[in-house]
Amino acid sequence: MSVKYIPVQWNANKYIYDAVMLLGVGLFLYVFLYAAPGILSHERPINSQVHTARAFGACAFVMLTVILCIGPLARLDPRFLPLLYNRRHFGVMTAFVAITHAGYIVDWYFAFSASNKYEALLFANTSYGQLAGFPFEAFGIFALFTLILLAATSHDFWMKFLSPPVWKRIHYLIYPAYLAVVAHVSFGILQDQQNHAFTAIFIGGAAAVGALHLLAALKDRRTDAALKADAADWVPVCDVSEMKDGFAKIKLLANGERVAVYLNEGKLSAISNACAHQNGPLGEGRIIDCLVTCPWHGFQYDVTNGRSPAPFTEKIPTYNLKLKGTAVLVHPQANVPGTYVEPVPVPQGGPS
Amino acid sequence: MSEKDSFFVGYLPAPKALRGLLLAVCVLFVSGLAGFGLALGVAQDDPGDGAFRFDYGRQTVTGVVELTPYPLLRVTEGNEQIPAGHTLMLAGGGKTNVEDRAIPLEGQLAQVSGVMLQRGALDMLQLRGGTNGIQAAEGAAPEMETIPLGRWKLAGEICDGKCLAGAMRPGRGLAHKACANLCLLGKVPPVFVSTQPVDGSEYLLVTGPDGGHLPEIAYHYVAQYVSLEGEVERRGDLLVLRMDPDTLEVLP
Repeated sequence: MSVKYIPVQWNANKYIYDAVMLLGVGLFLYVFLYAAPGILSHERPINSQVHTARAFGACAFVMLTVILCIGPLARLDPRFLPLLYNRRHFGVMTAFVAITHAGYIVDWYFAFSASNKYEALLFANTSYGQLAGFPFEAFGIFALFTLILLAATSHDFWMKFLSPPVWKRIHYLIYPAYLAVVAHVSFGILQDQQNHAFTAIFIGGAAAVGALHLLAALKDRRTDAALKADAADWVPVCDVSEMKDGFAKIKLLANGERVAVYLNEGKLSAISNACAHQNGPLGEGRIIDCLVTCPWHGFQYDVTNGRSPAPFTEKIPTYNLKLKGTAVLVHPQANVPGTYVEPVPVPQGGPS
Repeated sequence: MSEKDSFFVGYLPAPKALRGLLLAVCVLFVSGLAGFGLALGVAQDDPGDGAFRFDYGRQTVTGVVELTPYPLLRVTEGNEQIPAGHTLMLAGGGKTNVEDRAIPLEGQLAQVSGVMLQRGALDMLQLRGGTNGIQAAEGAAPEMETIPLGRWKLAGEICDGKCLAGAMRPGRGLAHKACANLCLLGKVPPVFVSTQPVDGSEYLLVTGPDGGHLPEIAYHYVAQYVSLEGEVERRGDLLVLRMDPDTLEVLP
């Protein structure tokens, strides 16, 4: 949450996150670059430029694989949500590692000729009509530019400027980028690799990304099926006895929107389930200091009017609620973001 | 552990209930990346023994210049590394050729100087710049014999001879194809690596069918396992394959 844009709003957790990330990346590169050559029993060493390019390329692939595992992992088990908190720094670092890989490749394989090295990258191999010998560099170029685009637009300024839906769609390009990386490796070094340890790690990493996304999608599907409501004037959410103070129940409305119904100090309120920041699931958050707190990045909202506390300006829609006996009902028509709705008191003897 | 205790908010201290898990994740992440760095680092294949032989020092030999059109030197006065009778392929620095300097000396005696590249029986000389690299030598050029060996069908890989000889390690294969193509576009001598020796040699300098450079169609086959046919001739201890591009075929 911010009222002005600064490069990074540092806090202790971000420092820890970045320190651990940099330590991991630094160790990967150090071990690959300086420890591995001593173990390899090659008669003559691999060119240092090629070795360095491979180290950074392999590191970028591993980093991207880890990044893409975090999202579904957090959907499958919310205890992993802290890994999501500062993931954009991880992504920016990956872009820098990938740029370094590309730099070494271009300065080695595509230099030393009479042609411009960047032009040479595009014309040296034009065998696009065949699988073996396909110019796998094209996949790498696409992935690299996508990573740079995502890193350059990762700041909240761009999300506000582009609007969250547009920003989100742009950042879904991470998936085509990852597929491009998989193709880049598959049509490139995997074609020559004799040592199958590399192949096994590569396939394992890509399979882990695919499997985790599949499991998370199946879980979401099951959850959605359980939450989905039929079209009605007033949609039943749950029995009031199921509510727990400070927590929410989520309902998937017939129009596809999700509503989060919170019990706060004995009163019920309903807000949109989508955080104004990155569409984080507010209904999976908590009420802290009388404010609904998003589980992704901690954006907060007053549960009665969907407004972030001053001086912040984020607003989300609210919904009207009523009790019918002990059944909690929500009206599917969302109110204008920031509209105050009088909380519905839970009768004595209800949940605490 | 209550649910509330495990709720993480980025700008607040991590909940106690999560600290153990987060610490384990951090340790696993850091050690995992180090482990992957090692596993991937040691999974690299041996690039072979090809290399620039700077340890030999600068090589200067004399011989007769021939054009195939790729320039060769039929060595007449050699040294310890490059004996007389050897046929040496010539290249320029980086991905360049020495044809401009070699063409005026075709059929003449010349002295060449540079650094040697060597992979087993394959070698090449990267010449120094200007006349330091190649210049006319005094004396009459002896007649050099070219022995036709007939038409052959071969299986193997078209490579750029310089990277293959050790300018790059690794210097062949599909991952290296663009680099090889760029070398070949620079008219660096192409070399065919045959799976079966031809008259005792597995490396053949490969040219176009009419004594021209490598035909454009061949670039699509570089670095692949292919079969091709062509006329083979012996020039000293080097075989030259004049490929027939119509016979190029990718092998499984």
